[in-house]
Amino acid sequence: MSQNYNIFSAAESLIQEHFELEPNLESVIWINSDKTTEIRLLEINSMTFPAGAVLSFYFPPDEEFPYPTIMAEITPEEWQKVLRNEIPLPEGWTLENFKVYSREMVTV
Amino acid sequence: MTGRQNWQTAFLNQARIDWDAYQKTRRGMWPECHQLLFLQMASEKLAKALLVAGHSSLEAITQSHAAFVKFMHIASNNRKLQRAFSMRKSQQRAQFKSLLPLAYEIELLAPALAQRGPNPEYPWEDAAGNILTPANYPFPLVIRLRQTPQGLQLLKYIEIFLNRFEELFL
Repeated sequence: MSQNYNIFSAAESLIQEHFELEPNLESVIWINSDKTTEIRLLEINSMTFPAGAVLSFYFPPDEEFPYPTIMAEITPEEWQKVLRNEIPLPEGWTLENFKVYSREMVTV
Repeated sequence: MTGRQNWQTAFLNQARIDWDAYQKTRRGMWPECHQLLFLQMASEKLAKALLVAGHSSLEAITQSHAAFVKFMHIASNNRKLQRAFSMRKSQQRAQFKSLLPLAYEIELLAPALAQRGPNPEYPWEDAAGNILTPANYPFPLVIRLRQTPQGLQLLKYIEIFLNRFEELFL
């Protein structure tokens, strides 16, 4: 099993878990999904409080989930502003390589 | 130690000092505005101590006052917390979610977010044109923090997060 496969599976199971736990989660953007060392998730939640910025939190790896994860949560309106470059992404994050996950894609 | 780690230590140290000040104002005969001022400052810096470990720019972190609610919501995904409190992820998420309205009230105490409304630092004008002073204003949030299960739980979590930050978040 390659490292890429592992991080891919880990990220998708994490995304699925978040959809199961958070009914207001509209979509999850896996930013720079080609990176094999960490998982960067941008969660689009209609019920989160807008901050006017993408504030990302770091979760260190542990024995249960061996990949560092950086997560941010923004509103759908803030996501549109990110796409229009009106709100910058965190440092090092780009929209060059990202995957969009909807609830329908990960839940049966 | 990297620059980011230095920032993290600095935010955490200041959050702990602000929390100590909050505890002292609760025990003494301090006005409610000063209690809430220190609580708001402690909670914002606690959130920023975790934020600086992420990738957000220092500019975004230092300029934003809307960090504590994000912190409380995102922290519900923290596996170390689940283990420390022997909770399932769904339980932890539900519990943290129930605390978000109060966390939001604390966050909105920052004058920059209060939108010329009640805040613990500066006078403001109400809808009837009265000029109100924080020192004389009966903040309902104080009662909610002291007398509701959510208020007591939120304060307990802030204290635990500050005391055990290195164990729970690093």
